[in-house]
Amino acid sequence: MMIRILLLVVATTAVAHAQEPDAAAIVRDAVNHWRGVSSISVMTMVIHRPGWERSMTMRAWTKGDEKSLLVVIEPKKDRGNRMLTDNNNMWSFSPKINRVIKVPSSMMGQSWMGSDFSNNDVARADEIVDVYDHTIISVDESDGVTVYEIESIPHEDAPVVWGREVLRIRADHVVLLHSFYDQDGELIKQLQSLEIGEMGGRMVALRQRMGKVATLDEWTELQLLSVEYSVDLHDSLFTLSNLRNPRD
Amino acid sequence: MHMVGILTTLAWRNLWRNHRRTLIMLAAVILGTWAMIFMTALMRGMVTQMIQDGISALPGHIQVHHPEYRDDPSVANLISISDTELAAKFEAADIAHWATRVRVPAVITSEYESRGITLLGVDPDRERGLTFVDYDEVEGRFLESTEDTGIVIGKKLAKMLNTRVGKRVVVMSQDPDNEIADRGFRVVGLFTANVSAFEEAFIFAGKSTTQKLLRIDDQVSELIVFGDDYRNVEALYDKVSAIVDSRVEVRRWFEVDAYLGAMLTIMDGFVFVWIIVIFLALSFGLVNTLVMAVFERVREIGLMLALGMKPVYILGQIIIESMMLLVIGLVLGTALSWAAIQPIKDGIDISIVGEGLDMWGMSSVLYPDLLLRDVILANVVVLVLGFFASLAPAWRAAHYEPVAALTKV
Repeated sequence: MMIRILLLVVATTAVAHAQEPDAAAIVRDAVNHWRGVSSISVMTMVIHRPGWERSMTMRAWTKGDEKSLLVVIEPKKDRGNRMLTDNNNMWSFSPKINRVIKVPSSMMGQSWMGSDFSNNDVARADEIVDVYDHTIISVDESDGVTVYEIESIPHEDAPVVWGREVLRIRADHVVLLHSFYDQDGELIKQLQSLEIGEMGGRMVALRQRMGKVATLDEWTELQLLSVEYSVDLHDSLFTLSNLRNPRD
Repeated sequence: MHMVGILTTLAWRNLWRNHRRTLIMLAAVILGTWAMIFMTALMRGMVTQMIQDGISALPGHIQVHHPEYRDDPSVANLISISDTELAAKFEAADIAHWATRVRVPAVITSEYESRGITLLGVDPDRERGLTFVDYDEVEGRFLESTEDTGIVIGKKLAKMLNTRVGKRVVVMSQDPDNEIADRGFRVVGLFTANVSAFEEAFIFAGKSTTQKLLRIDDQVSELIVFGDDYRNVEALYDKVSAIVDSRVEVRRWFEVDAYLGAMLTIMDGFVFVWIIVIFLALSFGLVNTLVMAVFERVREIGLMLALGMKPVYILGQIIIESMMLLVIGLVLGTALSWAAIQPIKDGIDISIVGEGLDMWGMSSVLYPDLLLRDVILANVVVLVLGFFASLAPAWRAAHYEPVAALTKV
């Protein structure tokens, strides 16, 4: 009996040692997990400010690393606003003016549809994998799941303004917390997962909140209403002509 | 000839008969001349400074661009010029100061702020002395080579972005295919500029680094060439046109920045108008003085006429009197303005009002610029117009009826 326990301990440490988790791989898996090969989702975005609050419901299609299409379905006055991202570029289409507008590079750092997300947060979320050095700084446990705390430091020439970012990623690839620090080590903004659950056959963050640390009463929440993974989406969905003349 | 001598003596003595009036008039002429020359020198200085700052901000005396660059100064309109080939040709043509630059609109972003700026990809060795940045005044360091991966930004911009030497910023622009081109740069230096607007508007990166970022191989946006004098660039223009091939557009600085070019022309006109206005004020005093002098001497003039002096000599005498007054005034006035400029030759600090001046792209130290041309203009205008102004009283004196004049009470 004693021997069996001993063996078990040795075996688990051996396994743990053999699978010394690679920080970059954890981040990559988390990004892939959240997006999947392809997905169709419906979500509600709540933008909260001290004086007002507004919400917006959107349907989003994603495929691979680079392509996504987003259509606003609520509220009524914004219905039909569409946004296409492809390879770090972003275009928007508003039926009211019947024009496709490319979001210029100068505006990529600015707010996305008035929220606390920047256009870059939306268009280039996957960049975090390649242009950073990732290291695991601690491993702990929360709700019975292992959580890796990973520090990501951007490369010298990376187009990232942050000094470092810290991600808390669960072993099942759900990102719990994404913190952005400036180059003096000051925490500037955080993306928090407030609710985690199963949807579309995966564990995902159902409700996420992005907010600046300096202004706690200003935040944006994304609530996932439904999601479907690994759906067959044709490339023609993610084209400018489809942005202009939706065939759905 | 003999007559002219007598008239001159008469005029000179008449001038000092009522010396108080003459001295007052003389003071008016001196002050007027001083105002014309001194103020013109200050205004000239302002414009010269503006043009020099303007030229160092952009262009150099001669600029070479893609023909379409003027309409669309973007990364799409570049020229392929090899520095090594140019170096030999410019050497042969005896042109020492030139540089090629990549110049594109871009956005610089820190953790807190982002700003639209102009990104200059430069060769720091070639650029020395050609831009508005004094390398030795840079906090931190200026770029060291074209491959430098650091960036030099203005002090004001750094303040706005809440960044400093040693921190990283992101610079974002577009490549020729309209794809986003961006990368991080470490701030290695903060420059100061005479015109503080430049500190917010321009950032400097290594030329090769910029070319790599924008994916434009070894193409550049512009070639700039400096000569000796910004007022005279024709010879340089011809030389440069002969060196570069015909597919590019060669322009002089005043064509590149029509505003600056127009400033120079406007200034010439303005100086003339200014001198005329002052003269008009002066001429009332002058005419009044002469009319009074004539009026006082009606009986004397009548006597001279009665004794047989020709009216034309009376006319000449009054005009010589007025000319003497003006010449003395002009000489003293010119000397006074020269003396007034000496102590402020090295510039007057006008930074008290500097913030307003910045808006028109002016620096806060004013260097007066005394041009021989302006001095001559002022003197000639006063003499010529003074001559015409004194014609009226002189004419009147010459046409007195001798008997009526003699018996006038």
